[in-house]
Amino acid sequence: MRVSVPLAAALFAGAAVPAPAADPPAGGDPTRGAVVMAARCAGCHGTDGNSRTRGIPNLAGQQPEYLVRELNGFKEDGRESAPMQAIAQDLSDQDMADLAAFLAGQAPVRGKVTKPALLALGKRIYLNGNPAGGVPACDGCHETRGEGSDRFPRVAGQDVDYTVAQFRLYVAGKRPYARKVMLTVAERLSEKEARAVAEYLASLP
Amino acid sequence: MTRPLLATLLFGLALAAPPLDAAGPAAAERDAALAMAGDPVKGKAAYRVCRGCHQADGAGRADAGYPQLAGQQATVLVKQMADVRSGRRQSPAMHPFINPDEVSTRDLADIAAYLAGLPVPAGNGKGDGRHLARGRTLYERDCATCHGRAGEGDGARFVPRLAGQHYRYLVRESTAIRAQAGARRDADADMVRAIAPYTAGDIAAVSDYLARFRSAR
Repeated sequence: MRVSVPLAAALFAGAAVPAPAADPPAGGDPTRGAVVMAARCAGCHGTDGNSRTRGIPNLAGQQPEYLVRELNGFKEDGRESAPMQAIAQDLSDQDMADLAAFLAGQAPVRGKVTKPALLALGKRIYLNGNPAGGVPACDGCHETRGEGSDRFPRVAGQDVDYTVAQFRLYVAGKRPYARKVMLTVAERLSEKEARAVAEYLASLP
Repeated sequence: MTRPLLATLLFGLALAAPPLDAAGPAAAERDAALAMAGDPVKGKAAYRVCRGCHQADGAGRADAGYPQLAGQQATVLVKQMADVRSGRRQSPAMHPFINPDEVSTRDLADIAAYLAGLPVPAGNGKGDGRHLARGRTLYERDCATCHGRAGEGDGARFVPRLAGQHYRYLVRESTAIRAQAGARRDADADMVRAIAPYTAGDIAAVSDYLARFRSAR
C-alpha cells in the first residue's frame, strides 16, 4: 500500500482524512486517495482494491471514469447496496476523484475461478459472442484482455459472484446508469452463458 | 429475459406510423450527419461499440450474418446507421447498440469516415461457386448500372459497394428487399423493381458472383 508515513500517522491518530489540497490535481490525487481507501473502503475491498471476499468486487486497476460514475450512482441515483449507499453519502466529489486515481494505479490480481469447466464457453462468448442469440463479443467494448477504457469498465479479474449479480441487476433494471448496450447483452445471455463469462473474466490477469 | 410489453408497444407504434413519416427522422439524421466532415480518428474510437459484432477490421462475420463494412461507401454507412436507428430498416439485433445515448449523429459521420477508409478484408464468405457465369450475366444486365462494373457502389446515390461482401448477408438482404414485407422497407425503389422478378436461384448466383468479386476501390 502506497501511503506516505505522515498521512498514515494522521490516519492512525484518528484524523480521518486530510482536507483536499486547495488546488487538487486534475483527475484526483492518488496519495490522498490511498488514505480515503484505508479509512472507508479497505475493510471490504482490500487496502489495494483487491477484494478477498466472494461477492465483493475487485477495484484495483479499474477505470477511473467508471469508478467515479458508480460511486455517484450509490450516493445519488439509487444503485443498490446498503453498505455502499451509506458509505458513498460521506464521500465528496474530491474523495471520489482521489479514490479513482489511487485505484486506477493499483495492480490487479487474478480473480478466483469457481467452475473451471465453464471457462471454455466463457472465453468463446467473450471473444466471439453468440451470434445465434444476438450476443456481441464482449471484447469489442471491454478490450481483448478485459482492461476496459475511458468508456467501458475493466472486467478482467473480477469476482465471479459479483459479475453474475450485476448481469441480473442489469436485466432487472437496477443499475442506474445502465447503458442500453449492456442491458441488451445481459438480456440476451442465458444463465449459463452469463456464469461462464463471469468465470472467464475472473481468470483474466 | 425479454420485455414483451415494451416490444408490443414499439411494434404497435411502428405499425401505426405511415411509411412516409417513418422515413422522415432517418433522412433528417442522415442529412445532418452527411453535412459534417467525418473524422476517421474519432470514428475509430466511436466504432468500439460496434466491434463486438462487426470486428475490429470491419470484416463482420460470414457465419453470423454480420455484414462486412470496411471500404463501404461512407454515405451508405451513414444512411444505413440512420435507418437502423430510426427503425426504418429493421434490425432487432443491432438496434439497441446504435441508440443515441451510445452513438451521436456526429459519431455516424465519424464512424462512416473511419470504415470507408479501411482496406476491404479478404476471406469473406462465399457461396458454392457453381453458378458464377449466371451470376455475372445477371449482374451485368440488371445491377451494374447502379452498383458499378466492379461492384464498387456509388456514394453520391447511396448505392452500396457489394464486391467482397459476405455471401450469406447478400442473400439475406436481397431476399428481404425483394419481399418488401418487413426488414428492408428502407430499400431504394429502383432496387426493389430490379430484384422483384428474381428467383432464389438468381439471388444466390449474383450474391456468389459478388462475394468473389475482388476489385480496387
